Amino acid sequence: MKLLTHNLLSSHVRGVGPRGFPLRLQATEVRINPVEFNPTFVARMIPKVEWAALLEAANTLHLAEVPTEPVEGYECDEAFLRKMHHVLLEVEVLEGTLQCPESGRLFPISRGIPNMLLSDEESES
Amino acid sequence: MGGSGFTCSAAVPGSGTKCKGESTPDGRGGHLSRGPRASAHICELVSRCSLQGGRDLDSTANMSDGEEATNHLLDMNLHESQGSVQATEGGLQSESEHLHVTIGATVPTGFEQTAADEVREKLGSACRISKDRGKIYFDISVESLAQVHSLRSVDNLFVVVQEFKDYQFKSTKEEVLKDFEDLAGKLSWSDPLKVWEMNSSFKKKKTKRKKTNQNSNKGKTDNGQGDKKDERDVKKELTSSASETQILDYYENPAIKEEISTLVGDDLASSKDETDERSKEETDASVLRFRVTCNRAGEKHCFTSNEAARDFGGAVQEYFKWKADMTSFDVEVLLNIHDNEVLVGIALTEESLHRRNITHFGPTTLRSTLAYGMLRLCAPQPTDIIIDPMCGTGAIPIEGATEWSNCYHIAGDNNALAVNRAANNISSLLTKSQIKEGSPSWGLPIDTVQWDICHLPLRTGSVDIIVTDMPFGKRMGSKKRNWNLYPACLREMSRVCRPGTGRAVLLTQDKKCFTKALSGMGHVWRKVHTVWVNIGGLHAAVYLLKRTPQAFVHPSEQDGERETPW
Repeated sequence: MKLLTHNLLSSHVRGVGPRGFPLRLQATEVRINPVEFNPTFVARMIPKVEWAALLEAANTLHLAEVPTEPVEGYECDEAFLRKMHHVLLEVEVLEGTLQCPESGRLFPISRGIPNMLLSDEESES
Repeated sequence: MGGSGFTCSAAVPGSGTKCKGESTPDGRGGHLSRGPRASAHICELVSRCSLQGGRDLDSTANMSDGEEATNHLLDMNLHESQGSVQATEGGLQSESEHLHVTIGATVPTGFEQTAADEVREKLGSACRISKDRGKIYFDISVESLAQVHSLRSVDNLFVVVQEFKDYQFKSTKEEVLKDFEDLAGKLSWSDPLKVWEMNSSFKKKKTKRKKTNQNSNKGKTDNGQGDKKDERDVKKELTSSASETQILDYYENPAIKEEISTLVGDDLASSKDETDERSKEETDASVLRFRVTCNRAGEKHCFTSNEAARDFGGAVQEYFKWKADMTSFDVEVLLNIHDNEVLVGIALTEESLHRRNITHFGPTTLRSTLAYGMLRLCAPQPTDIIIDPMCGTGAIPIEGATEWSNCYHIAGDNNALAVNRAANNISSLLTKSQIKEGSPSWGLPIDTVQWDICHLPLRTGSVDIIVTDMPFGKRMGSKKRNWNLYPACLREMSRVCRPGTGRAVLLTQDKKCFTKALSGMGHVWRKVHTVWVNIGGLHAAVYLLKRTPQAFVHPSEQDGERETPW
């Protein structure tokens, strides 16, 4: 699971709604997988990202310092873009868990794949 | 070849005048025209395309050559083709450097236009879409041949030898078959065969590269046999123990399968006799082997495709002194008959492996040309978030990550086996590019999640595009299940899809259920376009939906009891 995916994932436990985001990440195995750097892609993706959630996830994984918000003029700041590229696309969580911040429900990540299935009682009818 | 000269009366588009060039048969089934510079351009086009019903054929043409030329030109949509035709004065260009040919491609029926768009984008050529569904034609110069193989929306390619828009069939079977026999010797084979030759050597180069990279211990000359055995063994293993997930995945990966079908020589791609030890590199020394494949469609024919293939094939054999071989062939001659349209071509690709095996490894695996067509339909923009919430083995997101690598793709399914297979297919893809490019394994912008389509664990309005193959009532799931599933799916998809700009491309065979489910969702989904497709004999539809600007409102936040959509 890449951090960009984590940024989109939200818990859908019954009754939780938008408070199911962001999922709390815990990782026991992480892999770095090089991905070709595309500065335009990163620059355009940044406004779509929920920054606080990304910051929290990056810190949990002890990744390179992510600023509290995108630096001024980030579109042209290659060092910044490369850092964000790395954080969003190159870090893969292979084993770990995602936790619903509202209900505490844990979702396992195994072999890089998060399992977000709920039982019938847990999910919204 | 008889026939005297005549005046070409082809119309010059946009000018309302006629060419009036002097035309003479060129001895190869077409005619050559010389005229004033402007019209010389056009007449050369006509002669290069081998005007149908030329003087050399026995079949009685009802129209004059000029009228035939005009019809042909109008059909060719000349305005757009002009860009791709080299303007020269007088005679035909037959040297390899300036060789222009007509290529035909089979595409998933219904996606002819998207395929035409891809051709225009990648090759700069305009396409003619055939009435015989699922076929498009375009002109290229032979230098572009390599790029033709990079087209993602085409299943098979062939070079056109000759096309007859309105073939005049005689009344008895004997006469018709005799005409086919006579036809063989009258066609202009040399240019198409040159293309075939270039294409084969191009395929061989790729094969060599692939085999050298497989770390074979044997010397270069043995490579063919050594690796052949390896791959054959793998294939045997494959058919005997289907629980070998690793190998299964390798073959199921649509990207790899296509690679195999077009790169590797005949010995792997089709069901060959395994004792054929003949090395591919020695083709020039030995006699060419060929077969004729005839496809016939139409009510009024008095012959069968087998008869036509047999008699035409016999004449081809006589003419070229090739050896006929139905299973182990170098040249596949195509004879396609669709009502009054007859086309003779030479195949440039072998039959795609994945289609043949589709019942073997999973009847619901979507072929990648269809996946490509669906993705193209929703016009992905850079940084679009694209999800397939019922991805199966991941055919669509994998195609997406390959062709639209400036977007981000997520493959999701509720089935553990499916997501694992999808993840394996993605790894195989990375390994393949590693072999091909010889570069370190670059990750792709794609991820896999196990989730439930009716309860997507995604933020509201966070997804730009949803592309998926919805369960068909007949092959997977049931019609009754679809009745409940479809509205729930559409609702959840409307929630995660970005209002205003978001869109969805959905393939389904259960059109009735889908339409009913959609009818209650006009406030969030607007149907923009429908493509009628044929999936292994089943008539399905691909719906392009646009997400309306209306924000998603959670049912619990609405006043009063929410009425069920049914």
